[in-house]
Amino acid sequence: MNRTGPVPAPPAPLIDTDSAGFWEATREGRIALCRCSDCGAWLARPLERCSSCGGPTSFTDVTGTGTVYSFIVVHHASVPAFAALVPYVLALVEFDEGPRLPGMLLDEQGPGVAIGQRVSAELTQFTGAEERAVVYRRVNDVEQPSVPDA
Amino acid sequence: METREAALVGIGRTPFSTSSGRTPLAMAAEAARAALHDAGLQPNEVDGVIDFHTNDSASAVDVARAIGAFDLGLAMDVHGGGNVAVTVVGQAFAAVQAGICEVAVVFRSLQGRSGNRYGRGERPALPMRGEMQFAALNGFVVPPMWIAMFAQRHKHVYGTRDEDFGYIAITTRKHAAANPHAMQRQLIDMDDYLSARWICEPFRLYDCCLETDGAVALVVTTLERARSLRHDPIRIVGFGEAHTHGGSWTNFTDMSEMYSAYASKRLWASTGLRPSDMDVACMYDCFTGTVMATVEDFGLCPKGEAGTFFGEGRASYGGDVVVNPHGGLLSEGYLHGLNHHYEAVLQLRGDAGGRQVPDARHALVTAGAGPAGGALIYEASR
Repeated sequence: MNRTGPVPAPPAPLIDTDSAGFWEATREGRIALCRCSDCGAWLARPLERCSSCGGPTSFTDVTGTGTVYSFIVVHHASVPAFAALVPYVLALVEFDEGPRLPGMLLDEQGPGVAIGQRVSAELTQFTGAEERAVVYRRVNDVEQPSVPDA
Repeated sequence: METREAALVGIGRTPFSTSSGRTPLAMAAEAARAALHDAGLQPNEVDGVIDFHTNDSASAVDVARAIGAFDLGLAMDVHGGGNVAVTVVGQAFAAVQAGICEVAVVFRSLQGRSGNRYGRGERPALPMRGEMQFAALNGFVVPPMWIAMFAQRHKHVYGTRDEDFGYIAITTRKHAAANPHAMQRQLIDMDDYLSARWICEPFRLYDCCLETDGAVALVVTTLERARSLRHDPIRIVGFGEAHTHGGSWTNFTDMSEMYSAYASKRLWASTGLRPSDMDVACMYDCFTGTVMATVEDFGLCPKGEAGTFFGEGRASYGGDVVVNPHGGLLSEGYLHGLNHHYEAVLQLRGDAGGRQVPDARHALVTAGAGPAGGALIYEASR
């Protein structure tokens, strides 16, 4: 693998009408997940109508905090875009609102990472990507985000 | 329409390799002809073809034409991976039972190593749709990553050790050593397993299956017709699938288990047999972690005890059940699970040579990993 050449772009998302609100929010620096306007259910997969009650949905900002539900340490450079980063950690994070989203746990190589770790989500634009990705940091690495009033 | 019984009567395959130099169409046609010859049927008797693919294969009608079957009553291309390697067989049986067709060929053909590789995560030509749009930018796009995420959860919940995954890889390779068709036959021990390079933790090299070029085909027809054919018919005596959580690799409720926790209920409700009645179990093994979760979920051993089950030899000759006597996807080759059906038939016919499971009468075959898959039980008539 030619590490001196340009970094290849990561795979791209196909943004659809149901998910457009998520991606519009990321362009404004926000993380917003799909939520039912009637019953309040959070939907991991954005949908036009709620999968529980059929009500209309919209995108609502989340607190941006969550817990590591599971994680892996990528050693083999299967994805050329991130070949220079190995080993790196991909975490499956359960947002405090419920849905899980996968993302890189920044500046980690595996040791010390554990299921149950509290994390904070942020947005980053990887080289060559057209959209910003959800990524994470361990909460003890960043200033504790303020908890909004309930 | 009057329903009738169906049976599996023929099996065929190509060599398995890393560089076939052949199209999926050419390989599928060879496997289909071999399966029909094995059955004692002529290619122009085929009136049903069912296959599965991920936009990497040949279509049902193309393969039918290639073997000289010009007029199909059923032509079905199922989009999917290992999760549908039981679906396609079930649908072939159902179609024959319902009278939709008389002779059905089921195939999977792919250039899994020399063509479109599942283990690679280059930016695809087309953006990633559906739920994968939320995994794309972080490169959470190749199967070892998805299944490793499940395996990590199994470790967390059950205290599973690295060695527990190792026992599965070592047992599978030991079985493959007696299979001339297997891609990898060199024995490995625990030192080999633990010292192999990491792919993505908790998976090392030997936790991962072998990307493979090749094709496998099966032939299904009526039980009545089967009785006059070359081999004793193989019937399905248990069946259960589960396609759960919208197919989500990330929001599956409890990732210490898999689809099999759901499919298991349907499977065992469909039959009077029990896990202890299985002589052979061809468990879908894209990764060791898949075997770990599914042998537990299907009840071959208690939840959280798969490592011990393999470590104590209960998954091998002389134990409770022989798991993947052919060496599975891990060592025979990644024919996306259709090779598990081929092996089950060989074993139930008593034609498995040096790896024959004595008096094999019932074989469990599973398909899939993570949120979706299924299982069936074949019964020998001898």
